[in-house]
Amino acid sequence: MIKFTLNGKTEETNAPATTRLLDLLRDDFELIGTKEGCGEGECGACSVFVNNLLQNSCLIPIGSIAGAEIQTIEGILETKKFKILDESYSDAGGVQCGYCIPGMIMASAALLSKNPHPSKAEIREGISGNLCRCTGYNMIVDAINQAAKKGDGIW
Amino acid sequence: MVEKMTATYRFDRLEQTLSQLNREDCLIMAGGTDIMVLHKSGRGVPLKLPKPLIFIDHLSELKQVFQNHKDIHIGACCTYSELLEHPLIPVSLKNAIKTIAAPAIRNRGTLGGNICNASPAGDTLPLLYVYNAKLLLRSVTGDRIVEISDFIQGPRRVQRYQNEILAEIILPSVLEEGAYVVFEKVGNRNADAIAKVGFAGYIRINEARIEDVRFAFGAVGPTMVRSIDIERKLVGKTIPLADADIVQVVAGFDKIIRPIDDQRSTATYRKTVALNLLRYFLSMKQYQAN
Repeated sequence: MIKFTLNGKTEETNAPATTRLLDLLRDDFELIGTKEGCGEGECGACSVFVNNLLQNSCLIPIGSIAGAEIQTIEGILETKKFKILDESYSDAGGVQCGYCIPGMIMASAALLSKNPHPSKAEIREGISGNLCRCTGYNMIVDAINQAAKKGDGIW
Repeated sequence: MVEKMTATYRFDRLEQTLSQLNREDCLIMAGGTDIMVLHKSGRGVPLKLPKPLIFIDHLSELKQVFQNHKDIHIGACCTYSELLEHPLIPVSLKNAIKTIAAPAIRNRGTLGGNICNASPAGDTLPLLYVYNAKLLLRSVTGDRIVEISDFIQGPRRVQRYQNEILAEIILPSVLEEGAYVVFEKVGNRNADAIAKVGFAGYIRINEARIEDVRFAFGAVGPTMVRSIDIERKLVGKTIPLADADIVQVVAGFDKIIRPIDDQRSTATYRKTVALNLLRYFLSMKQYQAN
């Protein structure tokens, strides 16, 4: 039995310890905002927060999350930070097919929480682990830049 | 047919972990960023591993960083992100870490894991070779210290006994004044790429004379390529180096660097880039200690 906190609620599972956190989230908890892209840590579509740190859930066996705090895109939906990122991505045209977006939002939030006023280069570094095959990234960089300005003081 | 589940262990203390390893041969997982990819079994299917799995990434005993005289001791389970933020970690190592992976993986991948995974393209390895890193291995019977170049024996092959854990990475005399250290990584993408070529150079100068110089190349052979013989020939020479000396050193490495063709690059490309990086390092007019 593995116990952990998921989006603020205490949860437990009997799934094998070598189950990927990504599969646990999507299949057992039906949190399908977290996506599987490459399955090997190169695309960032499965990004979540583990103890407030951005991590790839496809690379995490659930045996190692005992006692940890996990936050998925669903867990931040009601926050002011998410609202600002949501508006900024929309205004900047940062979303096309949308598959990479939950991971991008998590990476954006992680970056801004650590560095509320990032330069363009720092933004690119912050989302360097997230692949988007639609936008060419420029609109996403603009979105994060806008979110930094709009959310001044809340990050 | 009932699938047999992989046995897993996660003890609170290092001591219990070492006792278990003394009883049973286990696969040791730190950050897991390599193991999870290596043993991936597809969507929705828990990993099937060849041995019982033991988690060590949470053990605080393996996460300490401290200074002992001029040496820095780094706990094997420190993540790259933790090292980036630690005041004792040399700037040259931090600069190298910034070129590794991306934030999400740096929050998970560990220095000890990179060493024990022993990939020919292991990102930190060229740098650890030029630091003359030593490794402290711990077991129920005690500690032993080995040179990193003796520990890594081939692709994914390390000289670790079943009952041992890599506990600390020791960077000897890294606080010695005046060393200039560079690390270069060539990959397909700035982030999350596996290196096509890695290069680390270390040089310590005293009034334009070379006191110590070291080079290591990654991803161009089964393990890191380093030559103490070639390095020694440069000791005592003055900076800037004469063209003839540079040509001689490059020719020396030309003989011992034997890369392969694979899905990431070709032997010709790897060798050309490796020697260019070396030539560039040797041709610098001055070396600012970092």
